[in-house]
Amino acid sequence: MRTLVYGGAASGKSEYAEALACAGRAPLYYIATMMPFSEEDRQRIERHRLMRAEKGFHTLERYTNLKDLKITEPGCILLECLGNLTANELFSETGAGEKALEAILDGVFALEAQCHDLVVVTNNVFGDGGKYTDGTLDYILTLAEVNNVLAARFERVIEVVCGIPIVLKEPAK
Amino acid sequence: MVLVIGGLAAGKREYVKREFGYTDADMADAALDSRPVLYNLQDLAAKTDKSEEELLALLLQKDVVICNETGNGIVPVDKDERFARELTGRLCIQLAARAEKVVRVVCGIPQVIKES
Repeated sequence: MRTLVYGGAASGKSEYAEALACAGRAPLYYIATMMPFSEEDRQRIERHRLMRAEKGFHTLERYTNLKDLKITEPGCILLECLGNLTANELFSETGAGEKALEAILDGVFALEAQCHDLVVVTNNVFGDGGKYTDGTLDYILTLAEVNNVLAARFERVIEVVCGIPIVLKEPAK
Repeated sequence: MVLVIGGLAAGKREYVKREFGYTDADMADAALDSRPVLYNLQDLAAKTDKSEEELLALLLQKDVVICNETGNGIVPVDKDERFARELTGRLCIQLAARAEKVVRVVCGIPQVIKES
Protein backbone atom coordinates (compact mmCIF):
# COMPACT_ATOMS: atom_id res chain seq x y z
CA MET A 1 0.00 0.00 0.00
CA ARG A 2 1.23 3.45 -0.92
CA THR A 3 -0.10 6.38 1.08
CA LEU A 4 0.37 10.10 0.59
CA VAL A 5 -0.12 12.15 3.77
CA TYR A 6 -0.82 15.82 3.06
CA GLY A 7 -1.08 18.72 5.46
CA GLY A 8 0.02 22.21 6.43
CA ALA A 9 2.69 23.27 8.89
CA ALA A 10 2.04 22.00 12.41
CA SER A 11 -1.03 20.07 11.27
CA GLY A 12 -0.08 16.80 12.97
CA LYS A 13 0.75 15.08 9.68
CA SER A 14 4.08 13.65 10.85
CA GLU A 15 2.68 12.00 13.93
CA TYR A 16 -0.18 10.57 11.91
CA ALA A 17 2.18 9.30 9.20
CA GLU A 18 4.40 7.65 11.78
CA ALA A 19 1.45 5.79 13.28
CA LEU A 20 0.46 4.68 9.79
CA ALA A 21 3.98 3.51 9.00
CA CYS A 22 4.20 1.61 12.28
CA ALA A 23 1.19 -0.43 11.16
CA GLY A 24 3.13 -1.43 8.02
CA ARG A 25 5.38 -4.43 7.65
CA ALA A 26 8.72 -4.35 9.48
CA PRO A 27 11.47 -3.39 9.14
CA LEU A 28 10.56 0.27 9.39
CA TYR A 29 12.69 2.86 7.63
CA TYR A 30 12.48 6.60 8.16
CA ILE A 31 14.01 8.63 5.37
CA ALA A 32 14.79 12.07 6.76
CA THR A 33 15.26 14.81 4.16
CA MET A 34 15.72 17.91 6.25
CA MET A 35 19.11 19.60 5.86
CA PRO A 36 19.95 21.32 9.14
CA PHE A 37 20.97 24.92 8.41
CA SER A 38 20.26 26.57 11.75
CA GLU A 39 19.73 25.91 15.42
CA GLU A 40 15.98 26.11 14.78
CA ASP A 41 16.32 23.29 12.20
CA ARG A 42 18.35 21.21 14.62
CA GLN A 43 15.68 21.68 17.30
CA ARG A 44 12.97 20.66 14.84
CA ILE A 45 14.91 17.55 13.84
CA GLU A 46 15.44 16.70 17.50
CA ARG A 47 11.71 17.14 18.23
CA HIS A 48 10.85 14.72 15.42
CA ARG A 49 13.58 12.33 16.57
CA LEU A 50 12.09 12.25 20.08
CA MET A 51 8.59 11.82 18.64
CA ARG A 52 9.58 8.64 16.83
CA ALA A 53 11.99 7.32 19.47
CA GLU A 54 11.12 3.77 20.47
CA LYS A 55 8.88 3.30 17.45
CA GLY A 56 11.58 1.13 15.91
CA PHE A 57 12.52 3.12 12.80
CA HIS A 58 15.89 2.86 11.11
CA THR A 59 16.64 6.48 10.26
CA LEU A 60 18.33 7.18 6.92
CA GLU A 61 19.32 10.79 6.32
CA ARG A 62 19.14 11.53 2.63
CA TYR A 63 18.81 15.02 1.25
CA THR A 64 18.83 14.41 -2.52
CA ASN A 65 19.03 11.66 -5.12
CA LEU A 66 16.76 9.08 -3.50
CA LYS A 67 17.02 7.04 -6.69
CA ASP A 68 20.37 5.63 -5.59
CA LEU A 69 19.27 4.76 -2.07
CA LYS A 70 19.49 1.02 -1.48
CA ILE A 71 17.20 -0.54 1.11
CA THR A 72 18.61 -3.80 2.43
CA GLU A 73 15.42 -5.60 3.41
CA PRO A 74 11.93 -4.72 2.07
CA GLY A 75 9.56 -3.42 4.74
CA CYS A 76 7.78 -0.15 5.33
CA ILE A 77 9.33 3.15 4.31
CA LEU A 78 8.27 6.52 5.69
CA LEU A 79 9.57 9.39 3.57
CA GLU A 80 9.52 12.73 5.39
CA CYS A 81 9.01 15.02 3.59
CA LEU A 82 8.54 16.10 -0.02
CA GLY A 83 8.60 19.78 0.93
CA ASN A 84 12.20 19.52 2.08
CA LEU A 85 13.20 17.10 -0.68
CA THR A 86 11.86 19.49 -3.31
CA ALA A 87 13.79 22.42 -1.84
CA ASN A 88 16.95 20.30 -1.68
CA GLU A 89 16.67 19.06 -5.25
CA LEU A 90 15.89 22.54 -6.58
CA PHE A 91 18.27 24.67 -4.59
CA SER A 92 21.07 22.68 -2.91
CA GLU A 93 24.51 22.00 -4.36
CA THR A 94 23.89 18.27 -4.59
CA GLY A 95 20.40 18.76 -6.05
CA ALA A 96 19.18 18.10 -9.58
CA GLY A 97 18.33 21.78 -10.21
CA GLU A 98 16.23 22.07 -13.36
CA LYS A 99 15.66 18.32 -13.35
CA ALA A 100 14.29 18.36 -9.79
CA LEU A 101 10.85 17.07 -10.70
CA GLU A 102 12.25 13.98 -12.43
CA ALA A 103 14.75 13.37 -9.65
CA ILE A 104 12.05 13.49 -6.96
CA LEU A 105 9.62 11.24 -8.82
CA ASP A 106 12.33 8.75 -9.87
CA GLY A 107 13.44 8.69 -6.26
CA VAL A 108 9.96 7.87 -4.98
CA PHE A 109 9.48 5.24 -7.70
CA ALA A 110 12.80 3.63 -6.70
CA LEU A 111 11.59 3.45 -3.09
CA GLU A 112 8.29 1.88 -4.19
CA ALA A 113 10.26 -0.95 -5.79
CA GLN A 114 12.12 -1.66 -2.55
CA CYS A 115 9.33 -1.90 0.03
CA HIS A 116 5.98 -3.45 0.85
CA ASP A 117 4.44 -0.29 2.24
CA LEU A 118 5.30 3.31 1.52
CA VAL A 119 4.12 6.38 3.41
CA VAL A 120 5.10 9.73 1.92
CA VAL A 121 4.56 12.95 3.85
CA THR A 122 4.00 16.08 1.82
CA ASN A 123 3.17 19.70 2.46
CA ASN A 124 0.29 21.96 1.73
CA VAL A 125 2.06 25.25 0.91
CA PHE A 126 -0.60 26.41 -1.52
CA GLY A 127 -2.97 28.36 0.67
CA ASP A 128 -1.42 31.70 1.53
CA GLY A 129 -2.18 33.45 -1.73
CA GLY A 130 1.01 35.46 -1.60
CA LYS A 131 3.09 37.00 -4.35
CA TYR A 132 6.24 35.01 -4.88
CA THR A 133 9.72 35.41 -6.28
CA ASP A 134 10.59 33.20 -9.26
CA GLY A 135 12.52 30.73 -7.09
CA THR A 136 9.68 30.34 -4.62
CA LEU A 137 7.15 29.97 -7.41
CA ASP A 138 9.33 27.25 -8.98
CA TYR A 139 9.30 25.50 -5.65
CA ILE A 140 5.53 25.72 -5.26
CA LEU A 141 4.84 24.53 -8.79
CA THR A 142 7.33 21.64 -8.55
CA LEU A 143 5.90 20.45 -5.24
CA ALA A 144 2.36 20.78 -6.59
CA GLU A 145 3.25 18.61 -9.59
CA VAL A 146 4.91 15.98 -7.38
CA ASN A 147 1.85 15.95 -5.12
CA ASN A 148 -0.55 15.59 -8.02
CA VAL A 149 1.41 12.79 -9.72
CA LEU A 150 1.76 10.81 -6.49
CA ALA A 151 -1.86 11.37 -5.43
CA ALA A 152 -3.01 9.96 -8.78
CA ARG A 153 -0.63 7.02 -8.51
CA PHE A 154 -0.91 6.00 -4.85
CA GLU A 155 -3.75 3.89 -3.48
CA ARG A 156 -4.49 6.19 -0.57
CA VAL A 157 -4.33 9.94 0.06
CA ILE A 158 -5.03 11.44 3.47
CA GLU A 159 -5.12 15.07 4.48
CA VAL A 160 -4.38 15.82 8.13
CA VAL A 161 -6.10 18.86 9.65
CA CYS A 162 -5.50 19.67 13.34
CA GLY A 163 -4.33 16.09 13.79
CA ILE A 164 -7.56 14.74 12.26
CA PRO A 165 -7.20 12.49 9.20
CA ILE A 166 -9.49 13.29 6.28
CA VAL A 167 -9.57 10.61 3.59
CA LEU A 168 -9.21 12.14 0.11
CA LYS A 169 -8.70 8.86 -1.73
CA GLU A 170 -9.18 5.27 -0.65
CA PRO A 171 -7.95 2.01 -2.16
CA ALA A 172 -10.36 0.60 -4.74
CA LYS A 173 -12.36 -2.23 -3.20
CA MET B 1 -15.54 22.72 23.46
CA VAL B 2 -16.09 23.17 19.75
CA LEU B 3 -13.17 24.07 17.48
CA VAL B 4 -13.98 25.89 14.25
CA ILE B 5 -11.21 26.36 11.68
CA GLY B 6 -11.04 27.63 8.13
CA GLY B 7 -9.39 30.15 5.86
CA LEU B 8 -9.62 33.91 6.25
CA ALA B 9 -13.20 35.15 5.82
CA ALA B 10 -14.49 31.64 5.19
CA GLY B 11 -17.65 32.29 7.22
CA LYS B 12 -16.55 30.78 10.52
CA ARG B 13 -18.17 33.33 12.84
CA GLU B 14 -21.37 33.38 10.80
CA TYR B 15 -21.50 29.60 11.16
CA VAL B 16 -21.03 29.81 14.93
CA LYS B 17 -23.81 32.39 15.26
CA ARG B 18 -26.16 30.40 13.05
CA GLU B 19 -25.40 27.01 14.56
CA PHE B 20 -25.08 27.85 18.26
CA GLY B 21 -27.05 31.11 18.59
CA TYR B 22 -24.19 33.33 19.78
CA THR B 23 -24.08 37.05 18.96
CA ASP B 24 -21.15 39.42 18.39
CA ALA B 25 -21.33 40.33 22.08
CA ASP B 26 -20.39 36.76 22.99
CA MET B 27 -17.28 36.77 20.84
CA ALA B 28 -13.83 37.95 21.94
CA ASP B 29 -11.29 38.93 19.29
CA ALA B 30 -8.04 37.19 20.30
CA ALA B 31 -8.70 38.13 23.94
CA LEU B 32 -9.09 35.81 26.91
CA ASP B 33 -11.97 37.07 29.02
CA SER B 34 -15.34 35.80 30.23
CA ARG B 35 -16.97 35.71 26.80
CA PRO B 36 -17.77 32.14 25.70
CA VAL B 37 -16.42 32.38 22.15
CA LEU B 38 -12.87 33.28 21.17
CA TYR B 39 -11.95 34.02 17.57
CA ASN B 40 -8.69 34.82 15.80
CA LEU B 41 -6.74 32.34 17.91
CA GLN B 42 -3.87 32.82 15.43
CA ASP B 43 -3.60 36.48 16.53
CA LEU B 44 -3.60 35.48 20.19
CA ALA B 45 -0.81 32.98 19.49
CA ALA B 46 1.20 35.75 17.80
CA LYS B 47 1.02 38.22 20.70
CA THR B 48 0.68 36.07 23.82
CA ASP B 49 3.19 36.03 26.65
CA LYS B 50 1.61 32.93 28.17
CA SER B 51 3.06 29.45 27.85
CA GLU B 52 1.51 26.91 25.51
CA GLU B 53 0.13 24.95 28.51
CA GLU B 54 -1.44 28.03 30.10
CA LEU B 55 -3.04 29.04 26.82
CA LEU B 56 -4.37 25.56 26.23
CA ALA B 57 -5.93 25.38 29.70
CA LEU B 58 -7.67 28.74 29.20
CA LEU B 59 -8.87 27.89 25.70
CA LEU B 60 -10.35 24.62 26.86
CA GLN B 61 -12.72 26.62 29.10
CA LYS B 62 -14.32 28.28 26.07
CA ASP B 63 -17.50 27.02 24.45
CA VAL B 64 -16.17 27.72 20.98
CA VAL B 65 -12.68 28.52 19.70
CA ILE B 66 -12.33 29.86 16.17
CA CYS B 67 -9.02 29.89 14.34
CA ASN B 68 -7.80 30.79 10.86
CA GLU B 69 -5.85 28.05 9.15
CA THR B 70 -2.38 29.58 8.89
CA GLY B 71 -0.18 26.57 8.15
CA ASN B 72 -0.99 26.15 4.48
CA GLY B 73 1.59 28.46 2.99
CA ILE B 74 5.27 29.01 2.41
CA VAL B 75 7.34 29.06 5.62
CA PRO B 76 7.51 32.73 6.71
CA VAL B 77 10.93 34.39 6.58
CA ASP B 78 10.22 36.20 9.84
CA LYS B 79 11.08 34.14 12.91
CA ASP B 80 8.21 35.45 15.05
CA GLU B 81 5.73 34.63 12.28
CA ARG B 82 7.16 31.12 11.99
CA PHE B 83 6.84 30.58 15.74
CA ALA B 84 3.31 31.95 15.86
CA ARG B 85 2.30 29.67 13.00
CA GLU B 86 3.78 26.63 14.73
CA LEU B 87 2.17 27.54 18.06
CA THR B 88 -1.20 28.05 16.37
CA GLY B 89 -0.93 24.63 14.75
CA ARG B 90 0.10 22.86 17.93
CA LEU B 91 -2.70 24.51 19.92
CA CYS B 92 -5.26 23.52 17.28
CA ILE B 93 -4.06 19.90 17.33
CA GLN B 94 -4.41 19.75 21.11
CA LEU B 95 -7.77 21.54 21.11
CA ALA B 96 -9.03 19.23 18.36
CA ALA B 97 -7.97 16.16 20.36
CA ARG B 98 -10.11 17.32 23.30
CA ALA B 99 -12.97 18.98 21.43
CA GLU B 100 -16.32 17.24 21.20
CA LYS B 101 -16.65 18.66 17.73
CA VAL B 102 -14.28 20.07 15.10
CA VAL B 103 -15.66 21.93 12.09
CA ARG B 104 -13.77 23.18 9.05
CA VAL B 105 -15.65 25.94 7.26
CA VAL B 106 -15.06 26.15 3.51
CA CYS B 107 -16.86 28.85 1.48
CA GLY B 108 -19.31 29.20 4.34
CA ILE B 109 -20.08 25.48 4.28
CA PRO B 110 -19.41 23.65 7.55
CA GLN B 111 -17.57 20.37 7.20
CA VAL B 112 -17.67 18.39 10.45
CA ILE B 113 -14.33 16.61 10.66
CA LYS B 114 -14.75 15.27 14.18
CA GLU B 115 -17.80 14.58 16.28
CA SER B 116 -17.86 12.52 19.45
